[in-house]
Amino acid sequence: MPLLKKPIVVKKFRDFHKYVKKNNGQIGTKQRGIDVNLNNACNLRCEHCFTNSPKGDHVKPVIPADKIAEIADQAHELGIFEWDLQGGELLMRPELLFETLEAIKTERFYMYLTTNGWHMTPQIAKRLADAGVDRVSVSIDSMDPEVHDQFRGKKGSWERAIKALEYVQEAGISPYLNITVGHYNAFSEDIQMLMQYSKDKRYTTLLNVATPGGMWSQMSDIMVDEADKAHLIEMRKKHKNILRNLWDPFDKKNEGVLGCNTINRLYITPLGDVLPCPYVHIKVGNIYEQTLQEISDFGFKIKYFREYSASCLAGEDKNFVKKFMSKEGTSIFKPADAREIFNHEELDEESEGLIPLVNVS
Amino acid sequence: MSTSDKYIDAFVEAFELEDRKEAEVLEYQSIENWDSVGHMTLISELEDAFDISMETDDIVEFSSFLVGKEILKKYDIAV
Repeated sequence: MPLLKKPIVVKKFRDFHKYVKKNNGQIGTKQRGIDVNLNNACNLRCEHCFTNSPKGDHVKPVIPADKIAEIADQAHELGIFEWDLQGGELLMRPELLFETLEAIKTERFYMYLTTNGWHMTPQIAKRLADAGVDRVSVSIDSMDPEVHDQFRGKKGSWERAIKALEYVQEAGISPYLNITVGHYNAFSEDIQMLMQYSKDKRYTTLLNVATPGGMWSQMSDIMVDEADKAHLIEMRKKHKNILRNLWDPFDKKNEGVLGCNTINRLYITPLGDVLPCPYVHIKVGNIYEQTLQEISDFGFKIKYFREYSASCLAGEDKNFVKKFMSKEGTSIFKPADAREIFNHEELDEESEGLIPLVNVS
Repeated sequence: MSTSDKYIDAFVEAFELEDRKEAEVLEYQSIENWDSVGHMTLISELEDAFDISMETDDIVEFSSFLVGKEILKKYDIAV
C-alpha cells in the first residue's frame, strides 16, 4: 500500500523528517518506531537467532490484543510512525496475527511484518495488504539455497523465502530483503550477489549487522569492523536501495548516519519487557507496569541511549558490548536491568533525559 | 529564476534527475526515487523554494508533477 494512502502516517513521518533536518541529520531523542515480538514460536532453527527461539525459549506467551491496542494508542501519541511485528514466526498463527493487526489500527502506522516466508502464500499476502501492511521483510542469507537452508535449519526455506518476496510484491506490499552482515561475510561475493538480486527485483535491501546476542551470545568476533562498515557505505552508494536503521534515509549522498536508534525504536518482548532495541538486551521498562512515555523518558536518561552514536551499540561498539552485553545467560527474556548495570553518571534519574535541541512546529 | 524553473528544480534536486524534461511526466512511484522518503524530500524542497508550509492533505494529494502545479495555486504560486 502506498504510504500516501495513510495521511496520519504522512503527518508523523513529516514531523520526523523535519526533526532530523533541523537536528543536522541526527535522530536525537525523536521517537520513531516500535518492534513487537508478539510470540516467540518459530518453525525454523536459525543459527544466529537473537530471540533464542530455536531453544524453545518462552514460545507460549503472547501479548493479548487489548494490550496491543493500548500500546498502539500510546505509540501514536508519542509520534511513533512505524511498527514492526515480528517473532518468532507470526505466520504460524495467522488468525492471531490478523487479530493483532486489527487491534493496532494500521491506518496510524507504516506497518510491517518480519517473517521467514515459509508460510507465505499469494492469499496470505493479499490479506496482509488488505489489513494495512505496507512492507514485508524476509531474511535471506545466501544466493545458494543449500547455504541458506543449512543456516536456517530447514530444507526448502530458501525457496519459500524467495517466493514470499514475490508474493508480497504482487500483492502491492513493499518487499524488503533483509541481510545479516557480520565480519565473517561483509566482503563475500555471496552478499554482493544478494544485493544485486534485490536491486534487480526492485526490492529494498535492509542490512542488519550481526550482534553477539541470543544464539550468538559471547561471539563478539562476528561484529563488523571499520573496514566492513566503510564497505557497507560503498554498497549503499552503489546500489541506492540499501538501508540500515541507523543511516539517514533522507540523505541524497547516501552517507549520512542518523545515529544508533536505541530507545528511538523500542523493542517489546512477549513478556512485555521493553528493551532499547531488539539487540541490546537491557530492560528499561515493562508495558504492564509503565506507559511507553514513561519508559522512553527513563531510557533517554541513560547517556549511551541519549547521546549520538554513529555506531550501532550492539553490533559495532565493542566497548559497549564488552561492558554491558557480555554477561552469560542474558537474553531478551532475561535482560540485564538498566538500574543495576549503569552507574549514577551513566544513568541520572534526576535529569530531564531529552535533548532540548529541536522544537518542531 | 522563474517560478516554473524553481518548481522543476525541486524535482531535479529531490530525485537527482539528469534531464529536466523528465520532471514533467513524473508521478508518485513512477521512478525508484519517488517513494515515500523521496516524497518527503520533494515536499521539503518545494517548501524551501517557495517559503511555504504545506498542509498534510496537500502532501497526500501531491501525486504527480501536474497535480502538484494545481496544489501550489492554493498557496498563491502559479507555476
